[in-house]
Amino acid sequence: MLLSKDGHQRRWNTKKIFSTLITWTIALLWAVPVFWALVASFRPASEPMGRGDVWFGTMLTLDNYIKAWSLAPFDLYFLNTVIIVSMILGVQLITITLAGFAFAHYDFRGRKILLFIILLQLMIPTTALLVPNFSTIRFLNLYDTRLAIAIPYFGSAFGAFLMRQAFLEVPHDLVDAGTIDGASWWQLLRHIYLPPTIPVLVAFGISSVAWHWNEFLWPLIITKSDAARPLTAGLVRFTQLGEIGAQWSLLSAATLLVAAPLFIAFLVFQRRFIESFVHSGLK
Amino acid sequence: MKARKSFLVVMVILLIGLLAACGTTAPAEPAATEDTAPAEEAAPTEAPVVEEPSEPVTIEFFYPVAVDAPIAAIIEGYIDAFEVENPHITVEAVFSGGYGDVQTAIMTAIDGGAEPPAMGVMLATALYDLINADAISPVSPSDEYLADVFPAFLDNSRYDGKIWSVPFQRSAVVMYYNADLFEEAGIEPPDSWDSWAAAAQALTVREGAEVIRWGIEYPSGWPYWLFQPLAIGSGQNIVGESDTEVFFDDPDVIEAVQFYIDLSEEYGATPAGVQGIWGQAPTDLATGLTAMIVHSTGSLTGLLDQVDFELGVMPIPGQAAGTFASVPGGGNIYIMKGAPEEKQAAAWLFAEFLSEPERVADFSIQTGYIASLNSSYETDAMKAYLAEVPQAAETKNALQHAGAELMVQNLGEVRNIFHDYLQRAYNGEMTPEEAMAAAQAEAEAALEIFK
Amino acid sequence: MQRSQTRKSSLPYLLILPTLFFVAIFTIWPTINSFYMSFFRQRLNLARFRDPTFVGIENFANLFSDPRFIQVLKNTIIYVLGTVPLAIFLAFLFAFLVNQRIRGVGLSRLSFFHPSILPMVSAATIWMFFLTPDYGIFNEALNFLGYRGPQNWTANPDLALISIMIVALWKNAGYYMIFYLAGMQNLPTEVFEAATLDGASTWQKLRYVTFPLLRGTTLFITTIAIIGAFQTVDQIFVLTQGGPSGASTTLLYYLWQVRFEFQDVGKASAITVVLIVLLLLFTVTNFVLSERGED
Repeated sequence: MLLSKDGHQRRWNTKKIFSTLITWTIALLWAVPVFWALVASFRPASEPMGRGDVWFGTMLTLDNYIKAWSLAPFDLYFLNTVIIVSMILGVQLITITLAGFAFAHYDFRGRKILLFIILLQLMIPTTALLVPNFSTIRFLNLYDTRLAIAIPYFGSAFGAFLMRQAFLEVPHDLVDAGTIDGASWWQLLRHIYLPPTIPVLVAFGISSVAWHWNEFLWPLIITKSDAARPLTAGLVRFTQLGEIGAQWSLLSAATLLVAAPLFIAFLVFQRRFIESFVHSGLK
Repeated sequence: MKARKSFLVVMVILLIGLLAACGTTAPAEPAATEDTAPAEEAAPTEAPVVEEPSEPVTIEFFYPVAVDAPIAAIIEGYIDAFEVENPHITVEAVFSGGYGDVQTAIMTAIDGGAEPPAMGVMLATALYDLINADAISPVSPSDEYLADVFPAFLDNSRYDGKIWSVPFQRSAVVMYYNADLFEEAGIEPPDSWDSWAAAAQALTVREGAEVIRWGIEYPSGWPYWLFQPLAIGSGQNIVGESDTEVFFDDPDVIEAVQFYIDLSEEYGATPAGVQGIWGQAPTDLATGLTAMIVHSTGSLTGLLDQVDFELGVMPIPGQAAGTFASVPGGGNIYIMKGAPEEKQAAAWLFAEFLSEPERVADFSIQTGYIASLNSSYETDAMKAYLAEVPQAAETKNALQHAGAELMVQNLGEVRNIFHDYLQRAYNGEMTPEEAMAAAQAEAEAALEIFK
Repeated sequence: MQRSQTRKSSLPYLLILPTLFFVAIFTIWPTINSFYMSFFRQRLNLARFRDPTFVGIENFANLFSDPRFIQVLKNTIIYVLGTVPLAIFLAFLFAFLVNQRIRGVGLSRLSFFHPSILPMVSAATIWMFFLTPDYGIFNEALNFLGYRGPQNWTANPDLALISIMIVALWKNAGYYMIFYLAGMQNLPTEVFEAATLDGASTWQKLRYVTFPLLRGTTLFITTIAIIGAFQTVDQIFVLTQGGPSGASTTLLYYLWQVRFEFQDVGKASAITVVLIVLLLLFTVTNFVLSERGED
């Protein structure tokens, strides 16, 4: 009995070592691109890369970051991105909470068909509709504004559906008790539905911010000036600077500049970030 | 069931309401600025050469950066000087990507109902597209200027008896080479396809199967433009006098495609197929990855900064011994019709400022772009520069051998078609004959409604 | 299911209105508008055709007789069918790996997940270097492994589409992993204990317990992956511009090109219609297939 247990234990250990090694190897490979970019971004620009010489230069320098910052108005791009992303998230949190609450709490005529109409947005993403949406923005006189980048995303089928599912999980007893106490819809939402579903809102918020921080094509089309242009479109313009050519260290610096805020936020909140996904029922 | 039905009614009403709200513009998407007859209408909106308005005015200036030179900083410098001379005008320079991106951005802005920038630097060859879209105003340079400018650079500005743009960053296709390597190997700069291919082959270095140095690199990025000198050197340009005619399937053109392929297949002197990115070629020449590159004259100054060897510049060798070829390129300044008149006037003031001989000379010295005025070459600064950097004279000489750059109606689509098939031939997916025949057929179809 | 029976109240409609309003303006209306405009000829770079003219199904007829468009369709379908299953496989594998009780799980999760918070344009810029001929790291690595084929990934007609797929896989697999990981952590442990007692191997447990229990997650990931795949064009702008010879042009990139480079509104509307139809076709098929699998 004891012997067999020991044997089992040992086999289990080799297996564990084996799978640990596999995990580490793949994880290491997966991290190479960003790791390279990080190393390259500190390489002096005067030392172009060549065969077998693509990592560290003779010294580390911050010059690439300084030069990238001076070649394009990245500070303005940052501001634009932050404004756009917050504007979208702010409106979305309101619209999805209200819609999710209505679909979860009330029974009303046309509930199903309304839900279906909204869910169409999941299947026909806004990006695919850029041609007609461009005309709409033109009609609304919003071309080349930050609002133009944000407004198509103010209603989110994904978010509304997510909140509906989350609200449906809230225990009946609580809701019934609240209703009997004569709570208004706002009080029900505020004190009974919302508290247990905050993690879902957080998870949605993270998705939304990450998605819109990184969005490229729509902002590219709908902006003409730096005044409204977000980081991603700015970065692509930057990479097109003829004078940059194959200055990989400079390109790496610009690339990381654009990704840095989200990246750092992610590193700091990594655990909570992933946990909130795991526990949000986002599945 | 009944509930659903009545709900549908509500929904339909809601939708109709929305449609009605947006529906007013439904079919007429571009709400064309005014009317659509550019020729007759042009006169009144012609950028007027007015006496200085005292009202402060701010204009936007869209420009591309297509070469290895600090264009942004140079332009900012000119703007500062201009604003000192014209305190009521503020110029905002907006870097907008490559040449194609500037045009797309401006057209999209017009299309989006926004006020376009007052001026922009776009490809000299964008003329027809811009006129068709009713996007630009004609300009009226002085007679003095017109007598001074190189005719080759003004070819792309004339239409319907008017001048529609002034040359700004004008270039030509040239070959840069590492003269030290030529000397070491005892090779003279080539003057024919044969001697060119032989030189490229001799300068290619291999270690086993691995290539240490290519004889020549022919970057992708502007396929039609870099190809044109080959076609011209072969005896037939891909474009002629007419604005709706192309010569893609001419035997001489096909021969030129074959020569490009031979450089790799027969001589092993250049990477096979479509090659690396545009911006990388100068770095490759500087770091010794290749002995020659074909590139824009606009990259001269950037290259001179990078190289630690004697840099040679020459036009592209032609097929017959002793012949050479090149093609002009680059961007002109356009004044946008959609901008208010006072802004157009201010923009034209700035365009004239940029076209003064000293400034044209300075821009050329700082970048390597060819100065577009004869008088620029008479300035002291230019004379001193040419004495110091004799290569700069070569870029101008290349123009003597130049044919016309591809400029036809519906240029975006025609260019795209030509690129498609040229690259298919380069990549060996089709023979040069098949590819060029297909390109010709598709281009003719794309040009049909423009005749 | 529903908690309240306020059939007469207009409140629920009011609550839904904001969402419905934006969905109607930026999804429903443009969809209808695309269908409508696809029957018109309108070219903004040609004075004669600047105003829309009704031409029936001419735009569609032109599209489907154009080998360029057929190639674009083919590229798109290869892109979707090539990236989605692989991304899901990798996501499942990664989730399994980081759901183990081993050292360094936190760092491994971080490593798999971090590309997904990188903007696609940043990811593509980094990969532009990796795919550079001669000294790019990807090429060096392949060279080390014995690969001797062409290295000009973004300019080679056989490799350009693959390059943009590689970038998408690298970026997206970790994102989908999170959903699997969430699913795995919420699975009932009793089932696994029972399976272990029955002597099931790790593989058997994965194949017969984990994967079937996560069917819903798989459906969800597949759906968002398909829709995502149709939408990814960012790396094309950075890496290949659709080339060479259109070898890496996907539907959405082509749509952008036709509308904003060639200024052809009618054709662009027709392409939008095709895109919508394909999207619906793929998501509905995916849904039906997985529903049937469940029976």
